[in-house]
Amino acid sequence: MTTVAAESLSTPSRTWSRYRHPESTIRFAVILAILAFLGWSVAFLNIDLSRVLGAFPRLAEILATRYFPPDVGYVTDADFVRSVIRTLEMSLLGGFLGVVCSIPLAWLAARNITISRRIAYPFGRLAIIGSRSIHETIWTILFVTVLGFGMLAGTLALTVFCIGFAGKLFSDELEAIDMGPVEALRSVGANPLQVFQYAVFPQVRVAFTGIAIYTWDVAFRAATVVGFFGGGGMGWYLKRTTQQLESTRVAAILLVIIGLVLLAEVGSGWLRKKIGRMR
Amino acid sequence: MAILEVRNLKVSYTASGPQILKGLDFDVDGDDFCAVIGPSGAGKSTLIRCINRLVEPSEGDITLFGQSVRALGAGDLRRLRRRIGMIFQEFNLVNRMSVMDNVLSGRLGYTGPVRSFFKAFPREDIDRALHLLERVGLSDHVDKRADALSGGQRQRVGIARALMQKPEILLLDEPTSALDPKISRDVMGLIRELAAEFKVPVLCNIHDVQLALETCNRIIGMQDGYKKFDGPAQGMRKQDLDEIYAMEVL
Repeated sequence: MTTVAAESLSTPSRTWSRYRHPESTIRFAVILAILAFLGWSVAFLNIDLSRVLGAFPRLAEILATRYFPPDVGYVTDADFVRSVIRTLEMSLLGGFLGVVCSIPLAWLAARNITISRRIAYPFGRLAIIGSRSIHETIWTILFVTVLGFGMLAGTLALTVFCIGFAGKLFSDELEAIDMGPVEALRSVGANPLQVFQYAVFPQVRVAFTGIAIYTWDVAFRAATVVGFFGGGGMGWYLKRTTQQLESTRVAAILLVIIGLVLLAEVGSGWLRKKIGRMR
Repeated sequence: MAILEVRNLKVSYTASGPQILKGLDFDVDGDDFCAVIGPSGAGKSTLIRCINRLVEPSEGDITLFGQSVRALGAGDLRRLRRRIGMIFQEFNLVNRMSVMDNVLSGRLGYTGPVRSFFKAFPREDIDRALHLLERVGLSDHVDKRADALSGGQRQRVGIARALMQKPEILLLDEPTSALDPKISRDVMGLIRELAAEFKVPVLCNIHDVQLALETCNRIIGMQDGYKKFDGPAQGMRKQDLDEIYAMEVL
């Protein structure tokens, strides 16, 4: 019995190979082209690899001589602490407004449940892509030009930034839902808002909460820089001290930013993990 | 007087794509428990979904309760759908919502926007939901999440949700094919019992022929988008079945 099986196995009626002629050739050609382009870029941009490597010791030296020790007194000053709190407020407000605005936009921009594929879908997509495609610093500069210096401009810039950031993640999440309950509630005669609230939202609520927290985390990081361009908050101190060449103060501010961003990241990660378990 | 009249119904999902239904004619009367049987790909699900326009027909007429289904605008279509109960193969419950909320969501078509937003369903809807849950044997599971239930229990929730609508016709899309044979029989028996109790005609698409012959009083046999058989379940002969399933020799 086994010998018969072995004999019949020894003569397959056709051959098989993972790499077949046109695909395998094309694949290797593409990889080769990418490598060639990278090599040509290094040569064209005249990148001196020894200088790149030498940059690190020099950076360490500058940090050690000019930026050390950080001026702790400067960052414990009441005015600076107030600016940190303002930064936090901006990120919370901008994140909240952004998330609130991005949920309806994400609904429009989710292909499977959008209200109309011809009008609402492109509108939602365009709004989200528009917010995303312009960097938050550019948004700050734009809002500062229109509204003047201060927290209002910074908050609005962060709002737009969050619309782009959260809107994209929200709409991706919406496009991945199970359409069964949606179909079921459409078939009982529910209107689109009811279908969204009863069939769609329960499926994405946990993911949305996680995304909202993540959005705030990213917004906080952005908020530290927004001030640099006149949007209010601690970024303004960063700009002033760099321009005054107060390197030890810059060092202290940078350390505060790193510390706060780390805290925000750890905190949001912990919260998201907790929420993830509620699925 | 027929409740549902289907005339020359044709469907293709894309303009250039293959035709799924190729001209169907049949009626459903007020006391029918009508099974649609046929091999996979015959167009059974598409047919059921055309009746409440979850799938848009491309040609032909569907008349339900004397209204032409294809002519309805969005608002009128919602008002018509309220009167059609539907039960699904995969239950289509909202898993992260309680059994109670799933059943209550059957009333959404009748619930105003403010009430539905705050999930404040009228007292009589809640009482009806409790009554129906008792009727399908789920009184002990009212506050459980839908995904905490077994397959058979979930389909019972689906049945209760459909009956919440006080439907005037029930559309069943393979209600038992995600269930094991014993539970399938229980569920079909329950549906039959409740349909008789509430005097609702049923159009049920099912691929378990034996179960169809046991529970239904009328059979529509489909094959490749055509109707091949239409008659009482008792009158069905072996050769009729062989003809419907002729293409499924594999």
